[in-house]
Amino acid sequence: MKVIATYNIKGGVGKTSTTVNLAYLAAKNSHRTLVWDLDPQGASSYYFRVKPKVKGGSKTLISGKCELNGLIKGTDFDYLDLLPADFSFRNLDLVLDGRKNPTQRLQKLLQPLADEYEYIFLDCPPNISLLSEAIFEATDILLSPLIPTTLSLRTLDQLKAFIKENKNKLKNLELIYFFSMADQRKKMHKEIIASFSKQHPDLLDIIIPYASDIEKMGIKRMPLGAYTQKGRSIEAYRALWEAILKRLI
Amino acid sequence: MMTKIALSFEFPDNLNVEKFITKLNKKIEYKLVSEHYMQKSFYDSFDWRLYNAHVLCEFNQSKNDSSLILKNSTTADNIALIKIDQVPCFANEFNRSALAYKLANLLEMRALLPLTTLELNVYKLNILNNDQKTVARLIIEDYWQFRCRVTIQPIKGYHKAAVNLHQLLVNSLSLTVIRKPILLAALKLQGRKVNDYSSKLNLQFDPDMPAGKAVKRIYKTLLKTIQINEQGVIDAIDSEFLHDFRVAIRRTRSGLSQLKRIFPSEITTYYSEYFAWLGSITSLTRDMNVYLLNIDAYKSSIPQYMREDLNPLEDFLLVKQKLAQEFLVEKLNSKKYKILLGEWEQYLKQFPAKETSPKKVLTIKQLADTQIWKVYQRVIQEGAVITKNTPAQSLHDLRKTCKKLRYLIEFFQNLYSINKIKALIKSLKGVQEVLGDFQDYEVQEDALRLFSDEMMRQQKVSSSTLLDMGVLVQKLDEKRCKARDEFARFFTEFNNPANKIIFKSLFAANSKKGK
Repeated sequence: MKVIATYNIKGGVGKTSTTVNLAYLAAKNSHRTLVWDLDPQGASSYYFRVKPKVKGGSKTLISGKCELNGLIKGTDFDYLDLLPADFSFRNLDLVLDGRKNPTQRLQKLLQPLADEYEYIFLDCPPNISLLSEAIFEATDILLSPLIPTTLSLRTLDQLKAFIKENKNKLKNLELIYFFSMADQRKKMHKEIIASFSKQHPDLLDIIIPYASDIEKMGIKRMPLGAYTQKGRSIEAYRALWEAILKRLI
Repeated sequence: MMTKIALSFEFPDNLNVEKFITKLNKKIEYKLVSEHYMQKSFYDSFDWRLYNAHVLCEFNQSKNDSSLILKNSTTADNIALIKIDQVPCFANEFNRSALAYKLANLLEMRALLPLTTLELNVYKLNILNNDQKTVARLIIEDYWQFRCRVTIQPIKGYHKAAVNLHQLLVNSLSLTVIRKPILLAALKLQGRKVNDYSSKLNLQFDPDMPAGKAVKRIYKTLLKTIQINEQGVIDAIDSEFLHDFRVAIRRTRSGLSQLKRIFPSEITTYYSEYFAWLGSITSLTRDMNVYLLNIDAYKSSIPQYMREDLNPLEDFLLVKQKLAQEFLVEKLNSKKYKILLGEWEQYLKQFPAKETSPKKVLTIKQLADTQIWKVYQRVIQEGAVITKNTPAQSLHDLRKTCKKLRYLIEFFQNLYSINKIKALIKSLKGVQEVLGDFQDYEVQEDALRLFSDEMMRQQKVSSSTLLDMGVLVQKLDEKRCKARDEFARFFTEFNNPANKIIFKSLFAANSKKGK
């Protein structure tokens, strides 16, 4: 079981689209895959047409009284399941804070799913908090989409600094970052991408475009790959998934 | 708690797919997602290892898709699926996946063989909720030769939808629940049934049956096993064909030597020689098969960085195995093999089962009691004198005697309390395994030494391969010594007072010494 968390301190950078589309591609290749929608906004759940409701809410979930497996819903796609969001997830930080070893909690909850799933994607809420720390400790790959804007890039520095500060606890965590929602028609986007790429040789050389076919996911309520097979967007996600797989081997 | 529901149903006579879907239209919201022609082939090992583990293996081929699916034969639940164009013969030829892992555990060294192919049209329907989310699937299989079947595929977390669908199919659409897979009907059409081959003996005898008649039945069963496996041995489909072929030969030989009173002595001698020859012509191929089956274990017993150096040994064994197989095939196509086996078959047909004693007919129970008791006592005598310093030959002799006892018990097991017999076999098996290991490790050590000489003569071996083989010999020797050390424990366990009482109570009644 490999855990891949899609995370950025900033919101609106394409985390959910990345999660949903990569999970779909993993499942398409017959890998047993789970998406855990940890964001109380429930966007992943919405894309999969699953009600953002978890019996007992965040308290029951974090307490471990109810096995995660019993809360999972099958999506419309083979090999792809979802642990839906719940509005109570807005309080996940508080609930975790009341537990012993809060940052190890998520990892412990995921352990029983190891035989069931090959890949678990965590769709994380923005912000950096106790929940984020718990996510980092449970994760093999931290996937961080970046919009080519100064504010978005600033959050990457914050994230890197946090990981460095906690390197003892997070020594197995691999950070992968890439540009997302990039509009090549915008001069500013192009310039930022060019200069940032020079300064950050470890930046992944894959750019998820700002594209209408990705936006349509909200109307179609399904992953991109379920309604389109060709185009820059789906190609970019495929390349991203290939690159992640290479890192995982 | 979740309600357990049946998932497979059969259409009544007056219903077809079109009517069914029309009826469904009025009851629930669904989307017909596909409709296509398919060929469904079932696979299993020759000895039904998958079916006996409640697993069905289906290879479904349609125009745009082909996949291999493992299903639970009772619940019809999917266990694992892979997209694949051709079905490999052995589990280790599959790419790494959950399905390959499951198959490897069940099949071991056996080949995956096609059983039967059915033609059908398949309709897939998604059952939707108000959000247009799929909450269950219906798979309609319209077979050309059988009644239409429909299967519910529940979606995780939407159990209620599957329950509602089940009720709809049974109550409103009058479908019949089916619990047997279509495979059974398909095999019936071929005049076959599942488990029509097993290497295990399961002979039913009336205790008062004349011994001659019963023994003849044993030989006939063993002959059938030889004949059934013959083509698989010739085609070298997998190594178990030869294994079962050889076991049937050994059992026949054991019968001929242990149950001498049944046939005239010249007949016993004549066929004993024939089956001894038959055993001998199969030995080399079997030995090579065993070495090749062990090669992964050999590799994993040495340090990782040395493992690749064993590849020349594997290549050498493959060449030897090929030559041995060619020799075996030649012998199995020889007149001697065919004529004598035919004669044996004829003899068993014609043999009047005339009893040697005109006054009183020897019953099978009397014969079984006497022989098992006799051989059991031999096992105890031979085993009791073995100490740490006893020559290896004595352990090999005991191994052979144990094997004779095991065959006799297996021939006649249904004459006795099954639980008691199972317990005896289990404890005898412990002794046999430790003696078998002791013998096997010694044989393998000797063989590796011979192979290294031969490879050196052929100048096909590097010093690193020879070094590996030396390490292997050392590892095998350690294991051999361990097996020898463990013998006493297993023999004491077999020779425990409780077993002695069971042996005496079951078999000593017809023996003068036992009374």
